[in-house]
Amino acid sequence: MSDGMNMTARDAIFAKLREHKSPQEDAYPLPPVAVFGDCDASPERFAKNLAQMGGKLLPRKPGESIAHVIDAAFPARQNLCTAVPEVEGTLRIEDLEDHYQANKVDVMVVRAAFGIAEVGGIFLSEVELKEHLADVHLAQHLVVLLSQAELTGNMHTAYRDRSEFKTAGYGVVMSGPSATADIQGVLIRGAQGVRSLSVIWD
Amino acid sequence: MSNKPIPHAKSAAEWIEKEDHYTFHDERLWDMRQKRDEQMHLLPEWQDLREQASRLKEHTLAHLPHYLEQFEENARRNGIHVHWARDGAEHNRIVESLLKKHNKTSIIKSKSMITDECEMREYLEPRGYSVTETDLGERIQQLDGQMPSHVVVPAVQKLTGDVAQLFAKYYDTDPASDDPHELAEAQRIAARPALLTGDTGMTGGNFLVAETGTFVVCTNEGNADLSANLPDLHIATLGIERLIPRMADLGVFIRLLSRSALGSPITQYTTHFRKPKKGGEMHVILVDNGRSDRLAMDDFWSSLKCIRCGACMNTCPVYRRSGGQSYGAVYSGPIGAIIDPTFNAKKFSTLPFASTMNGSCTNVCPVKINIHDQLYKWRQVLAERHEIPFVKRALMKMAGRLLAQPALYRLSISGAEVALKTVPRFALYNYFNQWGKHRELPHPVKETFHSWYKKNRLNKEKGAEKEETEA
Repeated sequence: MSDGMNMTARDAIFAKLREHKSPQEDAYPLPPVAVFGDCDASPERFAKNLAQMGGKLLPRKPGESIAHVIDAAFPARQNLCTAVPEVEGTLRIEDLEDHYQANKVDVMVVRAAFGIAEVGGIFLSEVELKEHLADVHLAQHLVVLLSQAELTGNMHTAYRDRSEFKTAGYGVVMSGPSATADIQGVLIRGAQGVRSLSVIWD
Repeated sequence: MSNKPIPHAKSAAEWIEKEDHYTFHDERLWDMRQKRDEQMHLLPEWQDLREQASRLKEHTLAHLPHYLEQFEENARRNGIHVHWARDGAEHNRIVESLLKKHNKTSIIKSKSMITDECEMREYLEPRGYSVTETDLGERIQQLDGQMPSHVVVPAVQKLTGDVAQLFAKYYDTDPASDDPHELAEAQRIAARPALLTGDTGMTGGNFLVAETGTFVVCTNEGNADLSANLPDLHIATLGIERLIPRMADLGVFIRLLSRSALGSPITQYTTHFRKPKKGGEMHVILVDNGRSDRLAMDDFWSSLKCIRCGACMNTCPVYRRSGGQSYGAVYSGPIGAIIDPTFNAKKFSTLPFASTMNGSCTNVCPVKINIHDQLYKWRQVLAERHEIPFVKRALMKMAGRLLAQPALYRLSISGAEVALKTVPRFALYNYFNQWGKHRELPHPVKETFHSWYKKNRLNKEKGAEKEETEA
C-alpha cells in the first residue's frame, strides 16, 4: 500500500462526507460535558459493585501484611509475580523474560492507579504494569492493591477527573475477572484472562 | 456476493421447527432484555443518559470530517499509523500489505463486526494467512463456518450440545458434554498456544475519542487485551462513525453500553489504546464501506449513531423467534434490517419486513435511533424501487384499494365471512395467503360490528337525537 494510494482513499472519503452529509452542522451543537447520577466514591459502594462484577475483596486484619493476606487466599499458589514493592513474591514483573514465563504465573500482584466505585473497576496502565501489558492478563489470578483515597464516584467523574486517561498509552478498567456467557447463556467467571480478581485495601 | 433476496421468512420457518433452540433463544434474549430493564430502573438518570448520548452522536456525525481529522492528527502524534479504507476490499488489502511488510502470517483477533462486514477472513485465509478468532462465541461461529448470529453474543442460537459436537471435532473434547464450564475451559486451553504464537493482533473498537486519538475496546473475556498486547503488531479496524468528541463524553456511552447489551453495569474490560506498546507498532484502519453514503440519506443517516449494543435485537419479537442466521447478514435484528439494505438493497430487501412495527427497538435504543420509523421508511423505499416480491406487492396494492374505499371494504368483508364459512381449506390456505402459513384465519362471525351497529345503534341514536331536538 503506497502512501499515494492511501491518500486517495482518505481524500475520497472526506470529499464525500463534505459534499453529501445530511445532518447540518448548525442544527447539532456540541452539548456540554454531563455528569449524571450517584457520585458516591465510598469504599462500601466500590466493594458492593466489585462483588457484583465477580471480584473479591480480600479481608485484611489491622497490621496484617499484604503477603500474608495473599498467602491465606492462595495457599496452593506456586509462582507469585509482583509489580509492587510491598510484596516480594517469587519473581518480579520486570524480570519476566518472555510471555511463556508469564503464562506460568499463578498469582500476579499489581497496584491500581485508582478505582471506580460505580462499577467496582480498577485502572491499570503501562506505568503500573512496568510495560508488561499482556503478562498481567496471562496470569491465572490477579491481586490488586488499591488505596481508598484513590476512588472516584462513577464513569463520568473518572473520565473528567483522572488524567491517566489522557496520558496512558494503554489503560484498562477491569471490573472483576474475565468472564463469558457465550455457551447457552451460562455465566462463567474466568474466561481467557484472569480467573479471579481480588482487591486488597492499601 | 449473490444479489438474491435473503429468504428470511423461509429460514425463520425452518428455525421455528427446531423447538429446543427456538424456545431457548427466545427466553435467553428476553432474559437479557429484562436484565437491561433492571439496570435501567437502578439509574434515575437513564433518560438523560440516552438523550445526551443521542445528542453527542448527532453532533459528531454532523461534524464528522472535523472530528476524523482531529482523531487522525492526535493518533499520529501518539505514534499510531492511521489508514483509510473506502470499502471492505480496500481494508483487506491494507491488512495484507501490513502483514507482508512485517513478514507476518498468523493473526489472533478479538471479536469485531466490521472485519466480518469486510469479509476479511474470507480474503486472507486463501492467501495463506491464518486468522484465529479468540472470543469464545466468535470462535464457535468460525469453527462452524457461520456468520455471527448476534452483535454481542455471536453464538446465541446454539445450545451446549451443538458446541460440544463442534469442539469434539476441533478440540478433541467429549462430544456428549453438557457442561458449558468444561467447554469454555477447552476454549481457554486451546486459545493459549494460538495467543502465544500469533504474530499479529487484531481488534475492533467501540469508540474513537477525537480529543486524545484514543480507541476504546469493550470486552468481557480478556481475549482482546491478550490479542492486542502479545504480538508486536496491533491492527485495529473501526468504522468512521465510531467517533465521540471528548474523553469526558466517554462515560455516557460506557454507562449505557453493557447495561443495554447484557444488563451488566460495565464490561469486564474497558480498554483504552492511545499509543503503541514499547517496541510495538499500532495501526488503525478507518473504514467507510457505505457509511458516507448512509450519512447522506435524510431518512437513514441517524442509524450511524448505533453503538452495537444489541438491545433492539434482544427485545424484538421477530428476531427472538426467527434467530440471527435467518437474516443472512453480518448485522441482524432491527438494526441490521435498517443498515443492511444500505449495503445491498436487493439482497436485504426482505429484512425491513421482519418487524411487527411494535416500536420496542426504538424504546430500548440507548442512542435513541428511531429504528421502527426507519423500518417503515425502508419498506416505502423498497416498494418504490420494486424490490419487494410480486405477491406481496400485488396484495398490498389490493389491500390499499380496499382500505381506501369503505363501501368496497365492507362488501369484501361480508364476502370474506361467507368464504371463511363455505370455501374449502385448500382454497383459503395457499400460496397467495402468506399470512395464513403459520396462522389460522379468524373464525367467521355471524355479524360484523359495522352491520350490528347499523341495526342496533345507528337508528336508535338518530331517534334519540330527534327527541333531544324536539324537547
